[in-house]
Amino acid sequence: MNFMGYERPDGSIGARNYVLVIPSLLSGLVASKICEFVDGTRTIVIASGNFEGHTNHDRAIADRALIGLGLNPNVASVIVDNEYRSVLPLSEEIAKSGKRVETLDPAKDGGTFGTIEKGVQLAREMVREASQMRRQEFDMGELTLAVKCGGSDATSGIAGNPVVGHVFDRIIDAGGAAIFGENTEIVGAEHVLAKRAVNKEVAQRILKAADDIDAAVKSTGEDLRTINPTEGNKAGGLSTIEEKSLGAIHKSGTKPIEGVLEYGERPPGKGLWWCDNNPGMNIFTGYAASGAQLTIQSTGTTSFPTAYDLLLPSTGVVAPHFYTTANPRTVALAPTSIDFYSGGVLEGTDTIESAGEKLLEMVLDVVSGTMTKVETIKHQNPTSFYLRDPVF
Amino acid sequence: MPFSGAIMISDKDNIAVCLEDIEAGADVEVRLGGEVRVVTALEEIPFGFKIALADIAKGDHVLKYGESIGLASSPIKRGDMVHVHNLEGGKGRGDLETGASR
Repeated sequence: MNFMGYERPDGSIGARNYVLVIPSLLSGLVASKICEFVDGTRTIVIASGNFEGHTNHDRAIADRALIGLGLNPNVASVIVDNEYRSVLPLSEEIAKSGKRVETLDPAKDGGTFGTIEKGVQLAREMVREASQMRRQEFDMGELTLAVKCGGSDATSGIAGNPVVGHVFDRIIDAGGAAIFGENTEIVGAEHVLAKRAVNKEVAQRILKAADDIDAAVKSTGEDLRTINPTEGNKAGGLSTIEEKSLGAIHKSGTKPIEGVLEYGERPPGKGLWWCDNNPGMNIFTGYAASGAQLTIQSTGTTSFPTAYDLLLPSTGVVAPHFYTTANPRTVALAPTSIDFYSGGVLEGTDTIESAGEKLLEMVLDVVSGTMTKVETIKHQNPTSFYLRDPVF
Repeated sequence: MPFSGAIMISDKDNIAVCLEDIEAGADVEVRLGGEVRVVTALEEIPFGFKIALADIAKGDHVLKYGESIGLASSPIKRGDMVHVHNLEGGKGRGDLETGASR
C-alpha cells in the first residue's frame, strides 16, 4: 500500500513539509517570534531550555533530539538559532542530510531584534521554497511510526493497543520501522517482550531496563502501586502495573524486537524497536527525533472528567499526532480529538485484523496530508527531554 | 454501552474483563474466541473491571493474557470482582524495602 509524501535529499519521505526553527538553548524567544510571523514553520518549546549543570551524556541526548527533529523527514529545511550552548554541532549534523540549514547568531546578526528580522525573512524564503515541492507516491515501507498508550483502561490492552499493533506489523512487513517504549510500562511484562528480542543481548537490555525501574522505585522507599498504575488507570479497571504492562505491550504488534533505543535515538535499521523512555508526554518529542513521521496515542481514558473534550495536542513538534481508542465513552467525550475508534473489536463487529486494516488506511491518509484532529490546534505544550542523570 | 458480557484473553486466565455494568446475581456470558461460558456474578461489577472465573486462594496468581498480573491478597471466589482490594502487584514495592534512601 502507498502514501503520498515529500522526498528528501537523504532518501527519507516526509508526511509534512515544515521549516523547523531550532531555538537557542538560552531562550526560545527568537525562534517563537519567527514562527509567529511565518506560516509553515515549527519550533520546539522547551520547558527547561538551558541544559547547564546537566551531565555531558544528558546534554548530548538533548542535542541529539534537536538534531533528530531537524533530520525528521517531515522537515524540509532548518534554521538553527545560536547553537553555542550545544555540545554537538547541530547545524553541521543536520546539514549532512543534504537539507538546507541556516544559522542565526545574535552576536553577528544585530542582537535579538536583528536576529528576529533576519530569521523572519529567511523563514519566509524557506517556506516558499518548501512549498514548491510536490507529494509523490511511495510505498508505506518508507514510514516510521511510533506509539504510546495513554490514559490506559480495560479496553486498551484487549482492543485499542492490539489494533495499533496490527498496523505496526503491516508497516514492518512492508519494510518500514516502528517504535514503542515506556520503561515503567513493561515492568511485569518484560519476560514476554524479551522472548521477542532478536538476540540475547537485546533481551538482556529489555530485562535490565525493567529491573532498573523496579530498583529505582525501591530506592525511593515508595510503593509503585500508588504511582503507576495511576488513579485514572485504576478507575478504568486496571489493578496492577503487571496488568497495565501486559496490555501496554500489545501496542507493539507481534514482530521481533530489533534493538533498544535511547530517548531520541534514530533506529539504525528497519523493523520494530523498543525505546528506553518514560511514559510522559515528552515521549512524542523523542519519537519525532527518532524519525517518526506520525505518532499514535492509543488511549483509554475511562476516568477522564466529562469536561475534558480536547485531548492534548502533540509534543511531537513536526510529527502529527493521531488518537485512537476502543472506549466509546472517550469518543463521546472527545469527538473532536479522537481520530479512530477500535471498539468494534469489543462489540463483535470487528476483529483486531479488520479494525487494524481500517486504521492502516486512515494512517496512510494522514501521512498523505489529511490533518489529524488535534493537529488543527496551533497551541504547543512545552516539552522536555528524558534526561536521567542528576543535575550538578 | 454497545458491549456485553465479559471477555477472556487466554484460556489460562482465571479472570475475565466485564464489557458492561454487571449486577449482583447476574449470569455473565464470558467469551474466549468463539467459546462462551457462564459465570454468576456474586457482586456488582462495573464495565472494565474483572470477574473471577474460578476460586483463587490467597497468594495464588491472578492470570490475564495467560500471565500473572499479581497475587490474590485475600481469598477470591468465582464470581467476585477482582481489583486492588484483593489483588496485589509485586513490582516496585519500595514500601517493603528497608534502608531505602529516604
